[in-house]
Amino acid sequence: MEKIIKHILLALSLTVVVSACTDSKQYETSFCALMDISGTYAGEKANVANIIKAGIVPEMIPGDSLFFVKIDSNSYAEENLVTKLTLDYRPTKANTQKLAIAKTLDKFGRGNARSRLTDISGALMLCSDYLKATKSGTQVMFVFSDMKEELPEGVVRNFAEDEFDGIDIAAMNVIKLTDDSANPEVYRKRIKNWNQRIVDSGAKSWNTLIDATKIQEFIYNVK
Amino acid sequence: MKSFYFLPEMPGVSIAVWIAASMIFLFFAREPVHKMIQTFSDATAGGLRKLAEWTKNTAEAMREKDRKVLLESGVAKIQGEILQEFSKIDMANTKSLAGYPKLQLKLDEHISQLEADYNECGQVTPEAPGWSEVVKSIAKVKGSTSDRIIEGMLGEIHKSAVEGEKKALSELREVSAKRHKILGSMAPIWKRVEKLGKEISSQVEKVMENSRNIEKYMTQYEKISAAEPESVDMLSSKVTKLFIISLIVICVGLVGAFINFNLIALPMSELVPAGVRVAGMAVSEISALVIVALELVLGIFLFEAIGVTHTFPQIANMTRGKRKIILWGCLLGLLFLSSVEASLAILRENLAEAKNALDISLAGGSASVSNEINSRITVIGQAMLGFVLPWILAVIAIPLEMFIEASQHAFAKMYTVFITLLCHLANMIAYLIEGFFNILVHLFDIYIIIPVQIANMISGKQVSAS
Repeated sequence: MEKIIKHILLALSLTVVVSACTDSKQYETSFCALMDISGTYAGEKANVANIIKAGIVPEMIPGDSLFFVKIDSNSYAEENLVTKLTLDYRPTKANTQKLAIAKTLDKFGRGNARSRLTDISGALMLCSDYLKATKSGTQVMFVFSDMKEELPEGVVRNFAEDEFDGIDIAAMNVIKLTDDSANPEVYRKRIKNWNQRIVDSGAKSWNTLIDATKIQEFIYNVK
Repeated sequence: MKSFYFLPEMPGVSIAVWIAASMIFLFFAREPVHKMIQTFSDATAGGLRKLAEWTKNTAEAMREKDRKVLLESGVAKIQGEILQEFSKIDMANTKSLAGYPKLQLKLDEHISQLEADYNECGQVTPEAPGWSEVVKSIAKVKGSTSDRIIEGMLGEIHKSAVEGEKKALSELREVSAKRHKILGSMAPIWKRVEKLGKEISSQVEKVMENSRNIEKYMTQYEKISAAEPESVDMLSSKVTKLFIISLIVICVGLVGAFINFNLIALPMSELVPAGVRVAGMAVSEISALVIVALELVLGIFLFEAIGVTHTFPQIANMTRGKRKIILWGCLLGLLFLSSVEASLAILRENLAEAKNALDISLAGGSASVSNEINSRITVIGQAMLGFVLPWILAVIAIPLEMFIEASQHAFAKMYTVFITLLCHLANMIAYLIEGFFNILVHLFDIYIIIPVQIANMISGKQVSAS
């Protein structure tokens, strides 16, 4: 009997030691790329697909997730999720998955999806929901848009205080509109407003990346 | 500040009054003030002096302990060496003595044969000399007489004498040839005898060498047993050298282990795909580490089974058969692990190529850009590296044992140095604190010098400040 108790105690201690060593930190990264398909930005689809393919997808390691969401007139809807992917822990399978998503992105880039209005906030909220569900250690959003929001009538978009809690958000490839070129202050004010809204909603950081080649450096820094 | 002035309109006078009052007060309080300063000095510097004393005693105790350990280990090592030499002599003697009757028999046999041959040589009948003289005399007589009958007889005698001479000569040649043949057959026997002599001489030389080694070890043993300071220094120097060398080799080995780990970490994720992490490391990385550690463990057991290292007495005390089982087990295990590593190295290269191709493809380029020849060379190189590295890692078992043996002395030495430094530092700070408080006492005495001198003048005898 004494021997059995000893064995049980030993097993319990071993279990405690192993579980104590097990790391509870989440090492995976989840990315969410938002693509504006309204107005003039709709013409950027192929370019954005290439940026995601060459900048984000190669940086993903086994266990990482990617959500691709389109920004249209009413973006807070499930059908706005174009594709999603969680890489397998086996490198060979992960490579196959990357190739598959690259094809999906290419297809989206060639498509002629277009919307009249721009619900950026709704897309951001949708992305936030998806990213939070992954419980990844690092959560990043890339917004490919001109950042000019035009909501349809009756659509309300108020961010919660912890809407973007722990999420790094970057506005990418922000093209200047005609009004922006005429008065850069308009563009700067628009970006500043977004910064204020997003940081107030608990975002870890807000960045504007003008150069698409800096995307890898950005990912490296937030990881 | 002004509230302290007795005469606010004359601050100088007020300050002077304060100074004079403090002087008088401190003059009367000089003894307790001195005691107080002394107490401060004792409390701080004294504490440090105690610490210095403790560290000094600890260092001494550690040095003595280390000295004893060194001497004990030195004695044990030399005893082992002497025992080894004795066992060598024992083995040599057993071998030589076991072969000695055979050798003696061989030698006797060869000597008997030589004797027999020599006797045979001596027994051969020497030639019958004088035939030529007889033939010449008869030849001279042959023409000096007129009697035909006599001359015919002499002719016949001459003829038979010549034939006799020829026969005798032929017999002589025959006998000589026989003797030469016997003498010739003696040469290899002489050579064999000479060889046997050399063999005996070499055996004796080996025994002599072992005896000389024993003598050398005995001298060392006597020195160490006498615990002479030179012997301790010599032992310490030897052990320190061993520690440094083994440390360097282990560091090189660790670099090898790191390369080995990196070689198999990526392909291991293909074999052990899991998202769980332990202490920040993925399970696949831990698996790779375990493989590297297993190679090291197998190496330790391998050299233990061969008898090169003696870390585990249980293995050293095992029977030859059991040790052979462990040896073969370790060899097969290492072969298996090195084969696994070689295949993982090939897989790694394939994965790297696939990733490159994928990155190029994602960037919009063409994937078929790899140079096939270079790729093949890399694969072969990585596979070879994967196969060889485990065996190299296994050899670390030897310096590891050396390191463990020498580390006790090295760490004791480092600890002693550290403790001694601490002792000196504590002493130095104590000295500075004592100096500071002494200066403080002197400054106090300088401050109350006027009342002291007045007291001297009044009493007419010397009043000490302290």
